[in-house]
Amino acid sequence: MPEKKPKPETPATFARLPKEAPRLGVYICYCGGNISDVVDCERVAKVLGEQPDVIVARTNMSMCSDAGQAMIEEDIREHKLNRVVIGACSPFLHEQTFRGTVSRAGLNPYYYHHVGIREQDSWVTHDDPEGATAKAIRLMNAGLAKARHLEPLEPIRLEAKKHALVIGGGVAGLRAALDIAERGLKVTLIEKTPFLGGHMAQLESVFPTDEEARPALHELIEKVVHHPKVTIYTSTVIVATKGCVGDFQVQLRPVARGVRGVAPGIQAAIEACPVEVPDEFNYGLTRRKAIYFRYPGCHPPTAAIDWEHCTLCGECAKVNPKDIRLEREMTTFQITVGAIVIATGFQPYEPRPGEYGYGEYPEVVTLPQFIRIMAMAEDAGELMWNGHPVRQVAMIHCVGSRQVPGVHEPQPDGKVNDYCSRVCCTATLQATADLRRRFPQIRIFDLYEDIRTYGRGHEEYYRQASLSGVRFLRFHTEQGPVVIADPTGEHPLVVKVNDYLTWGEELEVPADLVVLAVGMMPGPIEDLIDVLKLSPGNDRFLLEVHPKLRPVETAVTGIVLAGTAQSPMNIQESCAAAEAAASKVAGLLSQGLVELEPFVAHVDLGRCTGTGACVDACQYEGAIQLETRVIDGKEVQRAVISPAICVGCGVCVSACPNRAIDVQGWTLAQYEAMVAAIAAEIPALVEVEA
Amino acid sequence: MAEERLRVDALVVGGGIAGMQASLDLADQGYHVALVEREPSIGGKMIALSKVFPTLDCCSCITTPKMSAVAHHENIHLFTYTEVKTIEPNGGSYLVHCVEKPRYVDTGLCTGCRQCEYACPIDLPDPFQMGLSAHRAIRVPFSTAVPQKAVLDIDHCLLCGKCEKACPVDAIDFTQGPQDLVIEARAIVLATGYETTPRDAKAEYGAGKLSNVIDGLMMERLLAPTGPYLHVLRPSDGKEPDSIAYVQCAGSRDETLGVSYCSRVCCMYAIKQAMLLSGALPMADITIYYMDIRTFGKGYEQFYQNARAMGIEFVKAKVGRITEDEYRNPIVRVEIMEEASRVEERKHDLVVLSVGMLPAYDPRPLYGVPIAEDGFVEAACPNIAPPMTAQPGVFAAGTATGPMDIVDSIVMAGAAAAEAAAYLERHDGEAKTYAGRSISMGEKEAIHA
Repeated sequence: MPEKKPKPETPATFARLPKEAPRLGVYICYCGGNISDVVDCERVAKVLGEQPDVIVARTNMSMCSDAGQAMIEEDIREHKLNRVVIGACSPFLHEQTFRGTVSRAGLNPYYYHHVGIREQDSWVTHDDPEGATAKAIRLMNAGLAKARHLEPLEPIRLEAKKHALVIGGGVAGLRAALDIAERGLKVTLIEKTPFLGGHMAQLESVFPTDEEARPALHELIEKVVHHPKVTIYTSTVIVATKGCVGDFQVQLRPVARGVRGVAPGIQAAIEACPVEVPDEFNYGLTRRKAIYFRYPGCHPPTAAIDWEHCTLCGECAKVNPKDIRLEREMTTFQITVGAIVIATGFQPYEPRPGEYGYGEYPEVVTLPQFIRIMAMAEDAGELMWNGHPVRQVAMIHCVGSRQVPGVHEPQPDGKVNDYCSRVCCTATLQATADLRRRFPQIRIFDLYEDIRTYGRGHEEYYRQASLSGVRFLRFHTEQGPVVIADPTGEHPLVVKVNDYLTWGEELEVPADLVVLAVGMMPGPIEDLIDVLKLSPGNDRFLLEVHPKLRPVETAVTGIVLAGTAQSPMNIQESCAAAEAAASKVAGLLSQGLVELEPFVAHVDLGRCTGTGACVDACQYEGAIQLETRVIDGKEVQRAVISPAICVGCGVCVSACPNRAIDVQGWTLAQYEAMVAAIAAEIPALVEVEA
Repeated sequence: MAEERLRVDALVVGGGIAGMQASLDLADQGYHVALVEREPSIGGKMIALSKVFPTLDCCSCITTPKMSAVAHHENIHLFTYTEVKTIEPNGGSYLVHCVEKPRYVDTGLCTGCRQCEYACPIDLPDPFQMGLSAHRAIRVPFSTAVPQKAVLDIDHCLLCGKCEKACPVDAIDFTQGPQDLVIEARAIVLATGYETTPRDAKAEYGAGKLSNVIDGLMMERLLAPTGPYLHVLRPSDGKEPDSIAYVQCAGSRDETLGVSYCSRVCCMYAIKQAMLLSGALPMADITIYYMDIRTFGKGYEQFYQNARAMGIEFVKAKVGRITEDEYRNPIVRVEIMEEASRVEERKHDLVVLSVGMLPAYDPRPLYGVPIAEDGFVEAACPNIAPPMTAQPGVFAAGTATGPMDIVDSIVMAGAAAAEAAAYLERHDGEAKTYAGRSISMGEKEAIHA
């Protein structure tokens, strides 16, 4: 028997139209002036109120307020509305809010359509109020047309794995892992390097308390390591992910540590290693072996082999053949988690060669290097650097931060770092205080644009520095300091600066050491951005959905941000952000169930002929597949959607030769109705648009 | 006498942005929360702002949905116009005695129709409008208030009965008295917020007597779409100002006022207001006198650079004195450092003091939570666990813990929710057994005291 072919002239969705006639409620929001300053909202309401099926058309100063929402709820009940269209901000902001409103009034939440007349109209057409009003009417009219074709939908409900993955073993990742575990959820923490602790381990003390950094960090590490809900993998990265919130299948690739346990005699094995490389723990100021501990007392307390530099000569293994094994590869494995926390941290800005003499003169160092220099310095006597006693130090702020195009060289991606790195001012002044306390004879010059000691207790460092005789010189970006060799030879360097605290006079500051207060840049996570489909912002840090509404969430539901992967932060702020991220994860997973938007593809089996064009076109593995079915006694192929994987992109819709696929909530019939309405003649607009 | 008792997991004190966010973050995790706010509406300081930096979203667009979510969340019990009176530890939990102040309006009946407000003959300075306009002795606190219920200021009421006659639902009740309420909570989040430096704090800046010297929150109201005049007008004569100056650090980084710290938000709010003013008054000259511009947050520096590009004048100077001429134009005495360091007296039409943040509440007597030298809540472990206080089970969020902007307050609220949740999980066993009786969470129970 031949397959039944439906009549092509009947669009699939018409069959699913509800029987009751549309009764539309239309609402136009002033958005506290954001819209009403440009668009004549009252006129929009009046014109729309005259359109077919519209029962009520109203305005409000802020529709999203409780009063605005209550008004809509009351209208739905009183006027038995069965469709609601709201013209307001972008749906991104408040579509969810209004779905809740509609739902509370007893209507299916998807009987609601949101029209963005702020972002798409009043904000971009602000110089033409008449035109903007006409545009609002057209956009809203298209919204009405779509609303007439709306269908009730149900969110997709999925079981959520009560298990979170935390990427990054710095202070933010550790903090987030602990909070999620304390909440009773399983946590897997992965760290790319062989050791935990991140940049915090490289600090000696933490502002504003001046508490010792590593003991505070180790206390946190101990709690995480010993928490029964936490599993930690060091030297491990993500290679692939599939799935969605509640059910991410993550492929992890570990690299062997090469060393087992405490490994007695490991120090001798390290000494036996003939390879020496710059030690990143001291920012290249010292050297370490290719088998190494990050620092004494580091976690885990097991040495690791640096495979990148190891020559596999076997010298170390000769000392301890039992615990050292020179095999790098390990098998990839998979875990399934409900949510992912990105705590990949930052890297200090690396000045380009020649920037303030960096790389040219050994006396020019970065602030992180200076902190290590101070950590390694003997307290007694003089501070020595490059064979000379240090008598004068110049600190230069905003290196790699607050850059201006045309003044500063761009990064390889063509962009300058136009942001403030937030922590460098206080970090510099804290280092200054340490220098002043331990080597009071050294004269200190601080070259800055603005001193941003904004946080609690931060201003105290600035005050103390001023009181203790640190000399502050203020420069403008356009006339930044210049570092040259001291022509008199008395000191290695001279810093020339136009000081605006003394009327822009050019001053020369001789210096034995120049410290560059370098800013923060996000860690090198291009691979991760690809694998997890994350979006970095203009400043390359990962982007949150909205800084106030959803400050730690990314655009991918179930993936949240913790710490400096999102923006520069100090330790306190990183921990607060990590805890907020943990709250979000607990909120998502603790109920064991997640709800997803139903805007996924839907196959009309009456029209599908099993061409497979959709499967070929689909970018998301497993989202659409062909299945064998028996129809009228004959085996045929039909497309089937996996709603949890489908993202509703609509590529299959355009690929299908039979118009058998629609994205729910955004059907072809709805689009066609909208296009027709946009182009339709609206009598009230004839005069305006003429 | 019957006493209402409510047993919840967590009590959140303060219904500003931090308290609302902490409540929502706990409630979304399935915990039952009681949110207590002393004012008649939640929303805190934030709801009175115009637009918020750095996105320039209208403030209501961010605040009102959260207010609404708090009011509608099935796990949140909201108590407005309610104050905490005493607290007693009760073996693993706290018994929190609260008093709901009388509104003289039956909230079960009131629909927020405002007929009473229209009928009332008494005008009083409206604190929501920073005293720039008036409200009635009975009124709905503001248009987006949650709950939308009237409240009567009995101290200024004539008992004329006009409201009672006007009310279509007979909700006015002059006999109402304070209502006692006991909340039993296993954890507490303090989100008691901040106050701003009083406008009369500094004699050099006119001690609050110069009518055209206003503060940042007053300017927020002048710029807000629900503001008193719907125009930016200066108070003395209602003139549209052509020249507006901002005085930064007016109450922060100022040891003469005992405030040595930076208030963190003033740079950004001044720049934001300057931008909004450039839109509202395109011909006006706007000057910001500053010590350091501290635009440290995400996107803030770019915001500052945009403001400079828009032509807003930034002058590095500490304003020494503000006086006024015979037309009440404020005169600002400053040292202009960048132009050969000369002292100048500059006349403006309106001066805005960028006032700083002060703690709004001393938690020591009731909660036993220590404060630091600056008066804000002292964190027990400020770097690794910022919301934790020295008192077990008591956490702090938002500006109760020091000056911070909205973004940081919201993050801090999430952090406090995480700390409180972890605490609740750790002490789950104790709490289930201590009372020797089982009451389902969130269930109200009338007991006889």
